[in-house]
Amino acid sequence: MSAFTFATAQYESGDWDSAPLVPANIIDSIARYTSIDVAPTGVVVPLASPDLARHPFVFLTGHLPVRFTAAERAQLRRLVDRGGMLFVDDHNHDIDGAFHRTATEEIRRAIGPLAELPNTHPLYSAFFTFPDGPPNTTQELNGWGDNLLHRHLLAVERDGRIAVLYSNKDYSSEWGYHPENKRFQSVDNTRFAVNIIVYALTR
Amino acid sequence: MRVASLALVAWMVRAALAPGGRRAAARMTASGALADSLRAWTLDARAESLHVTLDATPTRGARAWLAALARAGAVVRWSARGLAPLAVAREDASDPAGGGRVLVAGPTGRVVHLRDAAGMLDSVRLASGAWEVRAPALVGRVVATLGASEAVAAPGDSLAGRAVVVLGRAGWEGKFVVAALEERGWPVAARLVVAPGVSVAQGSLALDTARVAAVVALDTSAARDAARIARFVREGGGVVLAGDAARAPALARLAAGRVGERVRAASLSLAGADPRRALGFWSIGPLAPDAVPLESRDGRVAAAARRLGAGRVVQVGYDETWRWRLGGDAGAPEAHRAWWAGVVASAAYRASVPRAAAAADRAEADPAPFAATVSAIGAPTTPPPSPAVPTLPRGLEWWMLALLFLLLAGEWLSRRARGAP
Repeated sequence: MSAFTFATAQYESGDWDSAPLVPANIIDSIARYTSIDVAPTGVVVPLASPDLARHPFVFLTGHLPVRFTAAERAQLRRLVDRGGMLFVDDHNHDIDGAFHRTATEEIRRAIGPLAELPNTHPLYSAFFTFPDGPPNTTQELNGWGDNLLHRHLLAVERDGRIAVLYSNKDYSSEWGYHPENKRFQSVDNTRFAVNIIVYALTR
Repeated sequence: MRVASLALVAWMVRAALAPGGRRAAARMTASGALADSLRAWTLDARAESLHVTLDATPTRGARAWLAALARAGAVVRWSARGLAPLAVAREDASDPAGGGRVLVAGPTGRVVHLRDAAGMLDSVRLASGAWEVRAPALVGRVVATLGASEAVAAPGDSLAGRAVVVLGRAGWEGKFVVAALEERGWPVAARLVVAPGVSVAQGSLALDTARVAAVVALDTSAARDAARIARFVREGGGVVLAGDAARAPALARLAAGRVGERVRAASLSLAGADPRRALGFWSIGPLAPDAVPLESRDGRVAAAARRLGAGRVVQVGYDETWRWRLGGDAGAPEAHRAWWAGVVASAAYRASVPRAAAAADRAEADPAPFAATVSAIGAPTTPPPSPAVPTLPRGLEWWMLALLFLLLAGEWLSRRARGAP
């Protein structure tokens, strides 16, 4: 059976590679907490490539405005229609920023409109339990000093499962560090990433 | 008059003794008049042998009539004129999406037309004397037609829906097998192992043929349920051992064969006519003595099956069929669903619910009329030659006898009138 490979989406516009440390950190957490067979390194897959079909879970992030090409839109739609899942994180954590406005519009055009995901959704108990919904990030609380808290994630659901998960909580910054540095944390802040991967693999 | 009397006597004696006489063969055809012909022939006390030339499929009633005559002592023979041996069988799939397969057998190279109550199903040329047609839906009776021959297969009882239990580790194969079966309409319970002692579960995992049709074991993690699975299959349930699940010793005892070496994909394209060539699999072999291979590639068995107790075990070596669903052409998701549904249906416990109309359908069914005719009155023979001496029409013999007496009386009176002794 093939191992789970963490795939980061490469897209034409914006800065797709703004969080290069996130894949290794999430892979480390999956290996650390679960028995899921996981590839030791992630891959980068062009969003417009047919190779996207090799990766039913794709992570997409960035700071800058996003505009998908027609090919990117088509491949993304194909992936989701066949049961794949896209996880988008706004590397900013602001409200109504450029990435947020353009990315949500592109998702709406390619797949469908995003809706607020209730904090009681099975995603929050897929492995670890998060009774209050998505865990807050340090950037939200005090990183930029603005205390902008996003209470919910957004999602496009298909047939009762999440097809697109959208966060503007800036997990890309929260999880963007070397895995060895987890030892300095009292609570591992990548645990929610494990929930997302377990959910993607089992629902 | 004496010469005429003697000639008449000689002719009547010959007519009585000749095979075409009192023991004459009655010849009749089945062109819609077989029942009338049989009735007339049965009431004819003179005939003791019968030859029927059939140019259309005899009804079950006509066959029973002929068989009754044969058992009553009459010599019944038959020959076929333009009538071909034809048989049809219908097997409803244990699949929530419905459908099933139609099996037809007949003369090699001939074209058979298949239809059901909803219309034409297919026309098939019997390349090797038999053919199988898979239909997404079958409505009512299935009728196979070949020239004047017709065979009818009745629908069986309804199949009761049961759940499928999927056991395996968390991964893409488990996710997409569950998705495919659910999309096909199966109620699915699943346990996907995420970490030691931690699983994501949905539905009841109790294995009972009253509720579950089949278990799908995706990998060796299902071995901890091997005892329950073994009991379930012996009670009539179905088991699908996928990938290398049978590598676990506890599951190997159920398997159709040993898990062999890994066979690489033979093609890079999942979009071709045979997308599974682009998938790797665990070869199966050697097979258990009672196992049969279902699918092979380059001499390696990719799928096999066996019966175990009252149930069935299907073993498939594929463990990455999700790649087919995601990477295949536009029809790949549906093909992936159909393939998994077929695998599960071929193993699944089949519980039937009697249909009210089933008895009527069965009464009209005639799946193999030619074979049934052979069974009733023996194999067909060549038609007998036309009798050299025509048989006497019924009642004519009395007129002939009267004529004979008149001739003899006339001859006697003539002699008396002439004073002859």
